[in-house]
Amino acid sequence: MEVLIRPDAFFSRIFAGEVSLKVPGLIAIVGAIVTAISAYVISGPTVKLISGAAGSSASGAMGLIGAFGAIGGFFAFLIGYWIIIAGIFHVISVIFKGKGSFHRTLTAGGYGLIPIIIGGIISALLALYYIPLVKVPVISSFSDPTAVTRAIAQLYADPAMREFTQISGIISIIFLIWSANIWIFGIKHARELSIRNAVITVGIPVVLLIVYIVVTTVFGVGIPGAA
Amino acid sequence: MRTLNLVLAVLLLLTGCAISGVSAQTSSDAAAQVTVTGVTLDPGVFIEEDVGTITVEITNNGAESVPIRRVTMYDADISILSSSYDTSMYLGAGNTMTFVFTVQAGVPQGIYYPTFSVDFRNAGYLRYPVELRVENDPLKISVLSKPDTFAAGKKDTVVIAVGNPRSDMVNGVVVDPSGNGLDITPSSYFVGNLGSDESVQVPLTITPSDNSVLTILVNYKNGVNNHQSSLQVPIRLGASKLQANPILSNIQVVYENGKYSVTGDVTNAGLQVANSVVVTSGDGATPVAPYQQYVVGSLQPDDFSSFEVTFTAPDNTSTIPLAVQFKDADGNQFEQTTMVEIPPASTGGGEAPGFPLPVIVLLVVLAVVIAGVVWYSWRKSHEPSP
Repeated sequence: MEVLIRPDAFFSRIFAGEVSLKVPGLIAIVGAIVTAISAYVISGPTVKLISGAAGSSASGAMGLIGAFGAIGGFFAFLIGYWIIIAGIFHVISVIFKGKGSFHRTLTAGGYGLIPIIIGGIISALLALYYIPLVKVPVISSFSDPTAVTRAIAQLYADPAMREFTQISGIISIIFLIWSANIWIFGIKHARELSIRNAVITVGIPVVLLIVYIVVTTVFGVGIPGAA
Repeated sequence: MRTLNLVLAVLLLLTGCAISGVSAQTSSDAAAQVTVTGVTLDPGVFIEEDVGTITVEITNNGAESVPIRRVTMYDADISILSSSYDTSMYLGAGNTMTFVFTVQAGVPQGIYYPTFSVDFRNAGYLRYPVELRVENDPLKISVLSKPDTFAAGKKDTVVIAVGNPRSDMVNGVVVDPSGNGLDITPSSYFVGNLGSDESVQVPLTITPSDNSVLTILVNYKNGVNNHQSSLQVPIRLGASKLQANPILSNIQVVYENGKYSVTGDVTNAGLQVANSVVVTSGDGATPVAPYQQYVVGSLQPDDFSSFEVTFTAPDNTSTIPLAVQFKDADGNQFEQTTMVEIPPASTGGGEAPGFPLPVIVLLVVLAVVIAGVVWYSWRKSHEPSP
């Protein structure tokens, strides 16, 4: 709890001693599981759309598609939101002559994922409400690429789908800002940076990520691994 | 002397009688060598009231010429229209003569035997019954294939067969199809000779413009006599069971930027190819760019394609027709119309409604709480750790 409301003090204490990746790794895995569940729920309409064209005989294969979505979401979160973002923090902090190993940066990055996981759980609960409301377009065959493209566009243009995408995007941004706040203090202590340099280190990728979320939310395209 | 004269007179008389008897015997023998060697009827088989000819050929197989007084043909039922051969003539040894008689079969169906007769001078007669068949069976016309229903303006094929059930051939067979409001190809079909128990198939391409009756006349000749058979085939317009049938489905109507946009699928649910398929909005709507018309192209049976049309419609319009135009293999144009409900323009159909109030409250609370947490964390960061 301290990491959420008093991250400066938390990381000051954590990095004073020997750091361990056990807790940050566990946090990242929990976040990956939450993302996998969300991905499975959200992929439901797409699976339904595809199964409409593939026929009832392909229902087993459709289940596999949902499972692949979940697995993809799991690794996208684990790699994208933890390792890659921590790596970006580490690289940017090099400019500011940051000290400390990548091990420490990963630790800070892992703890900072907690708000994103909370946001992911809220988005998953909202998905359980919104996704059943989505009207899945019917396509009878994959032989017409135009029809398939249009059906997918219609799916993402569905009012319920659009509303969920927008709410999910807003929640992602809110909780990403909270995570960024934790990362700032985490990087500050992990890489022994000034608070100003830590803000810049974390701010650059986070702002870019927020821009990406806004753009994709407006255009209705899903964000891999996003809550 | 008187006795001698009497004896001589008796001898002369007896000699004359003997000579005369020998001469009569010789004429009969010669006539017996005359035989009928050929009979030809034209037509071979008559139809009641037909006029034709009977040609009889006789040959003198003997070594002497035979005098003929009269040649004739007679019958109680068959009318002999031509005159007898009343001129005396000789039929030389080994020679052949032909006699032609015009007859009319004004008799019911059956077999008749008019008699050919040759009157030999001083040698009796040669009588020969000629078989003459009268059959009233006309040529038979049958429809081999035709569509269950015809479509106005659409070309379809009717195949007929003309058969000859008679015992002999007929000639000059001509098929003449006709009918009001029917465009028929060919307009006439010449068959020519049609042998006994033979038939010929004639394909007719029919393009009807309305309900009608196809009348098929088959004119033919039996010898020199004209005859006719006919058949009437009703041409009923209706929906063909085979023709292409474009069906619109998965229709989505969206009002945006001052115009309606209708998207959907058009599927050919018929059994024939739909060519040059074009989807457009019908009466009550004004097509506008970018999709005034959507050219789908060719659709095979069970194939489908997507389409999009854009149009404007007056206020308070709730439905508009979507027209699907297509052509068959012969280029005939067809159109099917599907009524589509459109949302009121003022509501902006397809626009997502605003967020529900609980969601807005949730988002605001989350934002406030997190802002508070962030503010608190920064405030605490300036305080020394306990």
